[in-house]
Amino acid sequence: MSRLRSWFLAPAGLWIAFFVAAPLGVVAAYSLLTRGTYGGLSEPWTLENYLRLADPLYLKILARSFWIAGLTTLLCLILGFPLALFLARSGERKHLYLALVILPFWTSYLVRTYAWMFLLRDTGLVNTLLIEAGWLERPLALLYNDGAVILGLVHGHLPYMVLPLFATLERLDRSLVEAAGDLGAPPRETFFRVVVPLARPGIAAGSLLVFIPCLGAFLTPDLLGGGKTVMIGNLIQNQFTAARDWPFGAAASLALMVLVMLMLGLLLRRGGERFL
Amino acid sequence: MRRREFVVALPGLACRSGRPRLNVFNWSDYVAPETVPAFEAEFGVRVRYGTYESGEEMLAKVLSGNSGWDVVFPSNSLVEPMREQGLLAPLRHAWLPNLDNLEEGFRRPPWDPKLDWCVPYMWGGTGIACRREVTPPAGWASLWEERWRGRLTMLDDPAEVLGACLKKLGWSVNSTDPVELRRAGEEARAQKPLLRAYVNAEVRDQLVAGDVLAAQLWATTALQAMEETAELAFVWPAEGFPLYADNAVILRESGRVELAHRFIDYLLRPDVAVAVVKATKTATVNAKAKALLPERLRLNPVLYPPAEVLRRGEWFTALPAAAQRLRDRIWTEIRAA
Repeated sequence: MSRLRSWFLAPAGLWIAFFVAAPLGVVAAYSLLTRGTYGGLSEPWTLENYLRLADPLYLKILARSFWIAGLTTLLCLILGFPLALFLARSGERKHLYLALVILPFWTSYLVRTYAWMFLLRDTGLVNTLLIEAGWLERPLALLYNDGAVILGLVHGHLPYMVLPLFATLERLDRSLVEAAGDLGAPPRETFFRVVVPLARPGIAAGSLLVFIPCLGAFLTPDLLGGGKTVMIGNLIQNQFTAARDWPFGAAASLALMVLVMLMLGLLLRRGGERFL
Repeated sequence: MRRREFVVALPGLACRSGRPRLNVFNWSDYVAPETVPAFEAEFGVRVRYGTYESGEEMLAKVLSGNSGWDVVFPSNSLVEPMREQGLLAPLRHAWLPNLDNLEEGFRRPPWDPKLDWCVPYMWGGTGIACRREVTPPAGWASLWEERWRGRLTMLDDPAEVLGACLKKLGWSVNSTDPVELRRAGEEARAQKPLLRAYVNAEVRDQLVAGDVLAAQLWATTALQAMEETAELAFVWPAEGFPLYADNAVILRESGRVELAHRFIDYLLRPDVAVAVVKATKTATVNAKAKALLPERLRLNPVLYPPAEVLRRGEWFTALPAAAQRLRDRIWTEIRAA
């Protein structure tokens, strides 16, 4: 029995060893080396790359990334919850609506980000329509600011919020909602005191699925932010390209990963039984 | 055959089964559509042709030493670093009879005076593209004027942005002096509120559409935009400007050194180079080809600035690690400001 089990686990184990553990080991090793004169890696082994991260400049960028990722998560939650509730209660047509939620995934994220650039620029669709309609005289600066970055991130990550929320809300026992109503709770109270607490596992899973990738985003801030804002993902990417400082980039990405793991660990420990 | 030997021999077998194959990795939009097919037909070989968008992207791939490419096209400031890292194969001039077609200045370029490692291919500089409806800027300093607010872009490239700031202050684009670099960083931060964005070639459409009034831009990209609309002009800044050249090199890992030489020599043919210039709107280093260009291109001051303008140009050079690190931190400060 247990022999059979280990056979079945072997592919997953090998997968993790080759595609998670080994690359992480490489990153960890890089992070302890020194940048060569012209890039690349050289000796000596050092902890200096980690010490450099304590710079207030990099901490400010980290704080900014948390702020943007957090705001995106919140917006996804506010937009995604009613949508998931609607999906969960739409009976027969549920599958059609679900397909519509997943539909954007059929187009690459990069292409969709470029599409936003065409919509938001001065001579783009949004500005042209508003000017043609006589509501505006001069185009609004819609592209190349934090608003555009957050818009792009929310657009790209909304399905990751909706799907787990839908999964929880669909399984939600309707009789509990009815009981709340029978006992005199107005719909508002029912929603906040019955539905939301019961949906907590979905909220937690969705929030993590949105927050973590947003924290490391670099494409969206580059394209929709016009390079005027830096998130931690841009900082790391830049070390591997223009700055040619792989060890520092490796140290930054590893530090970010550890930070996220620690936060996850704390969250699970404090509210584990309630959340997941 | 042991398994390891088999794996090592595989690429060789794949080659033997067909015509020999040359692997060429070049900047995007850097040959004419017929350049590679005509080479394949004439020499009876196949070419695997790949493109990249930034020098760093190419470097990251070839640093491994078994990238699978034979010929790549680093900028002049990358040639020396690549040689230092042992990535380049020495050139044999006997296999490059067309080397004589090069312009005088490119036969002894500062980054490889005897052309032991590289053959210059194309060159260009960075200046300012602007819409004709506005008073053109005279130089970099004009780009700090209030009139551009929200309609000005700079390149998304630390060497270019710091280079423009350094030139504005009267210093070298290749400065390694911390005091000069910090002052340049302050200039860039002072300019940032006026900027619409830090973008590269994507700005072309926005210049043509009129969203952007002025942009720090490579001459070649500006010329492509100017082909699309008559509303654009290009300025070589008064304070001076950076120059770059892209060069063909053969990687040390290459197993087809002779064929690689043949390809580079083919690119040096005047007719081939002329077609490339016409397609890419980039200046060739080839004197014989230049003479064959139509007047519209040969006398175009964006493509070939006159000698008195060119004198203000300064070649980008490779920078030492400490300066590179300081520049990166200053660049991060600018972007986080």
